[in-house]
Amino acid sequence: MTPHPTPALISRYAAGDTVLDDATTWAMEAHLESCADCRALLADAVDPSTRDLLNRVAEGIDTGIATGPGPKRHRRLRRTGVTARVLPWLLTAATLMLMAVLFERTFVSMPSLVLLIAPMVPLLPVAAAWSRRLDPAWELMATTPRTGLWLLLRRTLAVLLAVVPVLAVAGWGTGHSPALWLLPSLGFTAGTLALGGLVGVDRAALTLAVIWSVAVVAPSLASRQLPAVLSGDSWPGWAAITVALVAVVFLRAGEYRRLGVDRT
Amino acid sequence: MAKVRFVLPDVRRSLDGLDEGELLRRVARGDRRAFDELYRRTAPWLTTRLRRRCADEDVVAEVLQETYLAVWRSAGSQAHALAGGSAVGWLWTIAAHRLVDAFRHRARRERVPAVQTFETVAPAAEEEALAGEIGADMERALLALPAELRQVLRAMVLDGLTTRETSLLLGMPEGTVKTRARRARIAMREALS
Amino acid sequence: MTNGEIMMRTVSVAETAPTTYAWTVYAEKLQVRAGRHLAVNGLDLALGTGVHGLLGPNGAGKTTLMRALATVLKPAGGRLSLLGEDVTGNADLPNVRRSLGYLPQHFGFYPRFTVREFVEYMAWLKEMPQAVIPGAVQRAIERVGLADRADSRMKTLSGGMLRRAGIAQAIVNDPELLLLDEPTVGLDPEQRLDFRELLREIGVDGCVLVSTHLVEDVAVACTDVVLVNEGRLVWQGTAGELAQQGGASDAGDSATERGYSALLRAHRGQVSA
Repeated sequence: MTPHPTPALISRYAAGDTVLDDATTWAMEAHLESCADCRALLADAVDPSTRDLLNRVAEGIDTGIATGPGPKRHRRLRRTGVTARVLPWLLTAATLMLMAVLFERTFVSMPSLVLLIAPMVPLLPVAAAWSRRLDPAWELMATTPRTGLWLLLRRTLAVLLAVVPVLAVAGWGTGHSPALWLLPSLGFTAGTLALGGLVGVDRAALTLAVIWSVAVVAPSLASRQLPAVLSGDSWPGWAAITVALVAVVFLRAGEYRRLGVDRT
Repeated sequence: MAKVRFVLPDVRRSLDGLDEGELLRRVARGDRRAFDELYRRTAPWLTTRLRRRCADEDVVAEVLQETYLAVWRSAGSQAHALAGGSAVGWLWTIAAHRLVDAFRHRARRERVPAVQTFETVAPAAEEEALAGEIGADMERALLALPAELRQVLRAMVLDGLTTRETSLLLGMPEGTVKTRARRARIAMREALS
Repeated sequence: MTNGEIMMRTVSVAETAPTTYAWTVYAEKLQVRAGRHLAVNGLDLALGTGVHGLLGPNGAGKTTLMRALATVLKPAGGRLSLLGEDVTGNADLPNVRRSLGYLPQHFGFYPRFTVREFVEYMAWLKEMPQAVIPGAVQRAIERVGLADRADSRMKTLSGGMLRRAGIAQAIVNDPELLLLDEPTVGLDPEQRLDFRELLREIGVDGCVLVSTHLVEDVAVACTDVVLVNEGRLVWQGTAGELAQQGGASDAGDSATERGYSALLRAHRGQVSA
């Protein structure tokens, strides 16, 4: 430890000695901030007027504590914050997946419902995590420095970490190759973020879900045939699309700083 | 409720081994004795330091009281956020900001409290023992600075204030603070090279 | 110079560089859309340190202007620079936002958060260093007079207390630019007095813009009044000068209100002519 000031020096400092030069006081103040022993010496060396002041203030503090609130334990905000808003949608997504598994195992001749709806499953909770309709403090968030691509990515990643195991269980339960349920969902997630930079993440999620349902899911169920885009050798295409969309997201990173508000 | 007295010998014995960070964690759980002990240990130091920045006793007393009440009320969040960092450093930060607020409040009413200024004095032999703390070179460089530059440097570097806060504390325009800080930096660099 | 034990802070060069900008808020022919409509249409504005009141009739574009200044909305045309940085694009937004404080007219909050938790969350979003947040939050809560309700859930607060919690989150980072849209709604007269005092204090070293329809708020607390109508600047001057603009024939119960009516009438006359 760096050298301690002598007790005499501390006494002079405590007494408010104005003759002490600035460099000495500087060094002493820097030292005192980290040395409890020297602070104790100083506590014993204060003059009577300081002692009076300390006693007076102690009484004031006493009154203040008696008449005011006390310390409250710090609460983990996860349960009440973003997670609370997203959780219901995560559960909905998980339930949908479960129903899809049951459907697929019951109606063996129908095309795989699990593969058909897997791309849309992450979209619900991702949209919930970045939604002007679900976040009451949206307009406030629009003015903060942390708002932007990194915050959006963190929340999206958290959603994916919850959704992918659900998809994995569904995929294992119905015997599908991981590439067929993982890559399309990642692709759609990236697509939601990319389109979200233009129209808002929640609107993008809805748009993509509707397009996919109308253009692929409905015809597939009607014709009882799995579409070509979900066939076994389609996964390189999905991988390429996902990478391209992720690149778009990063190239347009600045767009995510502006949230915009609904017209009132 | 027990009246706080400046020295509480019974308390001292059982809380002796704990450092200020530990005490703060106990305060966060509502431990009044730990709070009193924290006050006993840190208030003299804080008062002395505040007094060297503000000549007005009433302001110092007000700042001290507000600081410790703030400590009591926000201990729950603060103990969590500090997690091993300097509780004492944090005490100074709170006090410094309250001091700046008091100056801002009085600037509004054009009743600015006097700021302590010191003249340069050659260091005595015993004071040189502290040279190891900041280096003999730096000590010489600091003393060679004009007092008004040293004042700004102390507020910004030692007390951790921003240029805006320094301008309120020292009662000068922010532009002047910045100019003096720049001149001080140049002078220190020249003196130390 | 420093080592781990000595608690000293290094001061960056940027911090002590001379201020390069003349005005905290500088707008030139600013255009901002609200939906399809150009609510702010060719507005010029220059604001420095002090408390500025923003007055104008409903539909004048006040809220849209506040949103544009708070960087919520991107300008559709013209120039806008805040704290010396151009915010017409997206580049310097985080820098500007760190020194910004905003309270919107319709203030959304999380009902199950306590006041302290909410202000801490906003402080985190404003990228304040973690160790500094609890102290800054306590200070902000005390400054708005909510110290004894700091740990109550927001859904248990009255309208006036909620507004004050909103003001607390706006000032927690000691902003250089503070934007308040109708902040006194729901405050009782005593709370309004305290609030005006707070504004005056912040105005000592910061730029505050308060949008209000209460002319008395403006007359008493503001060093400067900005009057807008139909998306344009009508008049800017001190509250005293505003009071002198009106005559006995103008509508209003106070000199300030009469001045306000007179200026609006003149502007409408100009626009229709």
